[in-house]
Amino acid sequence: MAQKRPTTSRRRAVIVGGARTPFVKAFGPFMQLDTIALGVRAVRGLLERTGISRSELDAIVWGGVILPPGSPNVAREIALDLGLPASVEGMTVTRACASGLQAITCAAAAIERGDADVIIAGGSDSTSNAQLVLPTKATHALAPLAFGKAGPAEVLQVLSQLMPITEVLPQRPRIAERSTGQVMGEAAEEMAGRNGIAREAQDAFAVASHHRAAAAIASGRFDSEVIPVETRSGLVATDQMVRGDTSVEKLSKLRAVFKKGGTLTAGNSSPLTDGAAAVLVMNEEKARALGLTPLAALKSWSYVGVDPADQLLMGPALAVPKALERAGLQLSDMDFVDIHEAFAAQVLSVMKMMASEAFCRERLGRAAVGEVDPGRLNVHGGSVAIGHPFGATGARMVMTMANELALSHKRYAALGICAAGGLGAGAVLERVD
Amino acid sequence: MNDLLLEIAKNPMARDLVKTLGLPLPIPEPLRRMKAPAPPRVLDDKVVAYAGIEGAVTRAVARTLALGGAFPRLIGLTPSEPFQALGEAYGRPAIQLPDVPPEKPQRLDGIVVDATHFARPEDLGVLHDVFNPWLAALGRCGRVVVLGRPVDADMSPAHAAVQGALDGFIRSIAKEVGAKGATATLIRVQSGAEGRLEGALRFALSARSAYTTGQILTVTNAVADAVDPGPETRPLEGKVALITGAARGIGESTARILAAEGAKVVLLDRPEDDGPTSRLARELSGGMILEDITAPGAADRIAEALDTEYGGVDIVVHNAGITRDKTLARMKRSYWDQAVAVNLTAVLDITERLLGGTLHDGGRIIGLSSIAGIAGNRGQTNYSASKAGIVRWVSQLAPRVAARGITVNAVAPGFIETRLTAAMPMAVREVARRLNCLGQGGQPEDIGQAVLFFALPESHGVTGQTLRVCGGSLVGA
Repeated sequence: MAQKRPTTSRRRAVIVGGARTPFVKAFGPFMQLDTIALGVRAVRGLLERTGISRSELDAIVWGGVILPPGSPNVAREIALDLGLPASVEGMTVTRACASGLQAITCAAAAIERGDADVIIAGGSDSTSNAQLVLPTKATHALAPLAFGKAGPAEVLQVLSQLMPITEVLPQRPRIAERSTGQVMGEAAEEMAGRNGIAREAQDAFAVASHHRAAAAIASGRFDSEVIPVETRSGLVATDQMVRGDTSVEKLSKLRAVFKKGGTLTAGNSSPLTDGAAAVLVMNEEKARALGLTPLAALKSWSYVGVDPADQLLMGPALAVPKALERAGLQLSDMDFVDIHEAFAAQVLSVMKMMASEAFCRERLGRAAVGEVDPGRLNVHGGSVAIGHPFGATGARMVMTMANELALSHKRYAALGICAAGGLGAGAVLERVD
Repeated sequence: MNDLLLEIAKNPMARDLVKTLGLPLPIPEPLRRMKAPAPPRVLDDKVVAYAGIEGAVTRAVARTLALGGAFPRLIGLTPSEPFQALGEAYGRPAIQLPDVPPEKPQRLDGIVVDATHFARPEDLGVLHDVFNPWLAALGRCGRVVVLGRPVDADMSPAHAAVQGALDGFIRSIAKEVGAKGATATLIRVQSGAEGRLEGALRFALSARSAYTTGQILTVTNAVADAVDPGPETRPLEGKVALITGAARGIGESTARILAAEGAKVVLLDRPEDDGPTSRLARELSGGMILEDITAPGAADRIAEALDTEYGGVDIVVHNAGITRDKTLARMKRSYWDQAVAVNLTAVLDITERLLGGTLHDGGRIIGLSSIAGIAGNRGQTNYSASKAGIVRWVSQLAPRVAARGITVNAVAPGFIETRLTAAMPMAVREVARRLNCLGQGGQPEDIGQAVLFFALPESHGVTGQTLRVCGGSLVGA
């Protein structure tokens, strides 16, 4: 039988601070920085901003989706590249677009279990540095050359198997579901149709996202979160895809990209993005002992799975209510709701589901979760405007909401993230006094 | 033996060639069959039209479509509760179809008409009103389902006539849509048993019924409700299924399907078939009983094996069967005895013994009848007699075990492409294949899927019935 740990119930993991790189378009200014290099920038910035001593660190937990094949444990590589003490161990987690949040909940769980006191958790992704992969047929055909000495006969035999050439050329990566082959945008397009989300509503939502993010940048709200990054082409100090001057009229001119006559456009979908985000998660007692001010704590979290062949991105509609239930709270208790914007259509579908009496009765066995006040939803914009480096988004959301609770002196924020594979994540953040 | 016409049908170039040359060949439509295991939503993305009045069956239809993953289209019915609520919950909103189909209507995968309220002859006109304009929109391998009421003693003769009319309608429309690979099924649901309609409706609308057409299923509350609906996928998880004659053919196919849906299969075959039986048992992680079911004491030994090794049994499939064909004048007595012993006596004996505590409450007994038992066949007096016996046996046994939640049904295969039919003379085989609405022979899996339907927890409304899986055979009523 496991030993009972008397400290477990009293320990609380708190978010102490966060930092992230600006989010930029893939194949843009961060092209030379791979996911590890981006992570290094964010973690270094976090260490500088919080002033925590490197010797206090126990571990890095990092989320990533496109992992470098040669060094998939990005967390450890970041620690080594930063020259952190060798004792700062590292683990890399992957749960598609919920990877960043997963890293943070892993860290919180480890701290509350008593395994660690100080963990840097976050995530990064560099779509620019996704490696082209050889088709399995080519990999298998080349196998004789990979081991031992190959003679001319073996080489000839390998060559003969590499025909036709089109079957062995490297394949362009696609954001497609392995099980269904459906591209994520197609899935979101299907959800828009099935849940009756009109093009106009999506565009209006996207415009609000841009306007709010632009306002946050203009007011300096993100200055404490975003670390300027030096690149070959100069210093990048702010998010580069936010368009404060966009309008419903402008977005309405874009054409549908995932389906003929569809409603999803480049304007109301999140762009492929490079970036990294990190937060400092600590045992509350330890933070206070070191004179650091905790911002917020994770009161609850929940991860769910749905059939990818049905409504791929509906996960948050199940995960957020579950997290609320675990926290013993209602949606109406939430001062802020932050939902990852993979697509405007997906956020609006999820909102509609949570507000639907029929949906909640049938799928959750409860009364309607409720309507989300648009004034509390994604108050500083979301992934459509800011961008979406897959592994970083969860950490960005936790960071922004933890800061928002502290700055506004409000109490609760709910987070929701949809992810490939039909996954969904929900979490409730509570301000720490 | 390959079906040449079906091979042509599957090859677009050959198909075009036949068309261009104007050859008078009845090219059948290749049927779409259900995978095993079935996906979580067996009607996924099917477009199904429903015509009915707001009533007791509406909820069951709406649920079947929404949970099955279908997109509902309504004919002459505004999308109110429950279509609206379920549409919202599952993201499959019901859309009203126009009164007159547009020039190029959206393809329909199924049309369901509620005829449960038909009481006067003029009510039957609804069938014309719905199918006359919309049948052209029914796609390949589509589904026609009519919902009616069982004719019981309380029904007035006029009312019974109107409900009885549905039999003729469904058999005729099955023949009209068969060339498209489409099927038609009449489901008679007892008043008050609408809550049990889902299982039968899902079967009739899904690819499970690919080779079942022109048939009638009745849904009642006769069986005690001892079952929960089972999980979404692998609904037979935790069930033990005994399949006799499981080494090859229909038995093997049935075993594969039941195992894929989660059942622990126990394969029974003769000791001489040790090889194929044990290979299949290994592959399906199942068990095996080697027994000649006609041997003295066989029923006892089977029951004991099931009790001791598997803790009893939930599903019993009496698949083992033999033919000993000769015209009666030439038939030896031993031929007669062998056919009756395997096809009938053993089924009765084993069942009786298993009902003594081995078969769990909520269990399923499934017999194999035959089209020959229904229509009769020259040279098969012994076989036909034994298979016709099964039809009466299930209907008589069903009420006797209903209180225990056990259902008893039979599947009657028509022309199925197996070792047996491959051995038929070419000309006979070719004729036999075409003499049904779908113009082709069935596959062993078609029988397996029908057996699975009876075995599912959701089929608790169906008992005492014999379901023909014959492609709508032109022989036998």
